[in-house]
Amino acid sequence: MNSLAVKTEGLTKVYNDFWKRKSVSALTNLNLEIKHGEIFGLLGPNGSGKTTTVKLLLGFLHPTSGKSWLLGKPSGHIKTKYKIGFLPEESYLYKFLNAEEILDFYGKLFNLSRKERKERIDKLIQIVGLNPYRKRLLSKYSKGMLRRIGLAQAIINDPELIILDEPTSGLDPLGRREIKELIREFNKQGKTILLCSHLLSDVQSICNRIAILNKGILQVAGKVNELLSRSDITEFLVKNLSDKDQESVKVFIQGKNGEVISMHPHLSTLEELFVNIIQQHK
Amino acid sequence: MILTLATQSLREAIRKKIPHILIALGTIILAISPLISTTNEQDALPKIMLILFFQVVVLLCMIGIILFSAISLPHDIENKTVFSVLSKPVSKFKLVAGKTLGFALLAAFILIVLSLVNIIFVFFASAHLPPEHRGIFKARKEFNAQHFHIQGKIHHQKEGIHWIMGGGEGAAIWNFSRLHEKAKNIPPFEAELRLKFDSSRDTTETILLSIAIEGIQSKENKTEVFSAKADETLTISINPEIIKKNNDIKITVFPTLDTDYIGTAQNNIKVFSIQKGFIFNYAKALAITFLKFLLIIAIAVMGSAYLSALVSILSAFAVFLCGHLLDFIKDFSLLLHHSGTHEHALPGMIKKPNIFMIYMDYLCKKPLEWISFILPDFKKFDGLTYLLKGINIPIETIGFSAGYTLIYVTLCTLISCIILKKREFL
Repeated sequence: MNSLAVKTEGLTKVYNDFWKRKSVSALTNLNLEIKHGEIFGLLGPNGSGKTTTVKLLLGFLHPTSGKSWLLGKPSGHIKTKYKIGFLPEESYLYKFLNAEEILDFYGKLFNLSRKERKERIDKLIQIVGLNPYRKRLLSKYSKGMLRRIGLAQAIINDPELIILDEPTSGLDPLGRREIKELIREFNKQGKTILLCSHLLSDVQSICNRIAILNKGILQVAGKVNELLSRSDITEFLVKNLSDKDQESVKVFIQGKNGEVISMHPHLSTLEELFVNIIQQHK
Repeated sequence: MILTLATQSLREAIRKKIPHILIALGTIILAISPLISTTNEQDALPKIMLILFFQVVVLLCMIGIILFSAISLPHDIENKTVFSVLSKPVSKFKLVAGKTLGFALLAAFILIVLSLVNIIFVFFASAHLPPEHRGIFKARKEFNAQHFHIQGKIHHQKEGIHWIMGGGEGAAIWNFSRLHEKAKNIPPFEAELRLKFDSSRDTTETILLSIAIEGIQSKENKTEVFSAKADETLTISINPEIIKKNNDIKITVFPTLDTDYIGTAQNNIKVFSIQKGFIFNYAKALAITFLKFLLIIAIAVMGSAYLSALVSILSAFAVFLCGHLLDFIKDFSLLLHHSGTHEHALPGMIKKPNIFMIYMDYLCKKPLEWISFILPDFKKFDGLTYLLKGINIPIETIGFSAGYTLIYVTLCTLISCIILKKREFL
């Protein structure tokens, strides 16, 4: 188990009503393994059980049955929490504090020294791009700014395992791109990341492995490339080929009993276009 | 970490301007106290200022603190800010202890600021008072009688009260020992008598009492006759020479006239050594009041661990009221069963209790006695009575209040932890 950052065994959560009658089955028999150093995406539509899984992992909820471990210790273990960072689905922070104060407060909860706290606060505020607003009360922050400071508090302790619930929600494309780059950067530093999202493009672009939940049941789990690849279809990305040569290639493929499904100029994504335009004007 | 959580709660209160509001309101109440001073007694104003502080201002602050401490945790849970805290290495115990300590620090801060205002006002109001009316500035040390007995004939005995007839038929004797440890710097001493009077005369407004104070060691004796008023405490000075020569004294009392009667018991006479030390005594009264705050905070936090903000507030207020109501019911019961009045008393003194009230008392008393085992008894946290009487608050009283609070707070904190451990955060 030590090679695993997260493990669940038959994890089940049923919400009961006031009279203890079974009300909603939020998660059913989830078996999941996340290795150290992975970026793991937990996908699913709203109400699929992603947030329930995260809350069970962090000990906010008690499982109806099954078990879960984080960094080799049972969920909710206090000492393990020194190595975990968590960003909830919305930035639930004390709005009467400013960015510096909130990070200082969370830093103190990790028993960081004054010097360490100061260094990390300066660095993190810089990383999440809130330096000009560090003294502003969180009550006056926009949703995107709250998301950024939320991310900063999640990594104040330089965690081994980072659990991010919808980290890019409320962010503009530029912010989303920055957050994704940050996640990749954390991963390069050897951190394990569990990313919950329903934004498929985000997950596809950064995750090594994914699991898809629907109605609390695990539908599929595996490497992104394996799950998305089709052995019977091959994609070429070719540059600087004339129309005549393209036609020759098409004929060649057909000659080899291949079927050309589509041939069209390459389209960049809307996100790429948006980011390029904004960055040009900076 | 507990201190971090505590300072966070304190900072939240400050940012929400809770101490500002309570201190402002408290100061206004203290400032208008000269307007509500109704009696003509010279020391009425400083006494009213003390009463206003310890009863009205403290009650106001307690309401504010109850509101804040009962709301805070449910608010954190409803706003889900608790997720960001509990995802850190914070145990449920530390969360509860941190919150409780934070609110306690807030209460301490408000109490200290307002008590400073109160002390300034009290000193200002009593600046022109003659020395004999500056009783509240004393911090008299109380001595209880070690031994009590009746010499001669007891007229009759009822509910622990020994009635003796005047004219030398009988005398009540109280023995006090260990009045001072060292012969040097002996402070002045006085005795306070609260006896029950009765008379076969037409009026019992005043009776004459013969009081003898005798030194046990030197056998020196001094007898005087005093005129004592019914329902009033009689204070007599004790000759310093007797105290100087004797560590133990004997006080003998009997009605001078054979038409008068006195009802006596062991605690009817108390001896006091007169010492200054109002500020220190005030600080002790404030400490007792703070312990009361701590108790209600622990109860409010415990309620907030499993109840919504509104229900938590209501439950904390219910406990607070019951804690005081229990005392009221006990007093009420005592009043109804009060039968220390002597047969010779005037008819006007005998009040027939209402039968409905007796049934009410009977119905309420037993259940409340049971509840009183669970609910805190706030009467144990009374420092004001000592201050008004100018009596030094014994360290044992503070110790008892502190022990009582400690047990209660520990139990409440443990229950809160258990509840939070069982609780799910959706």
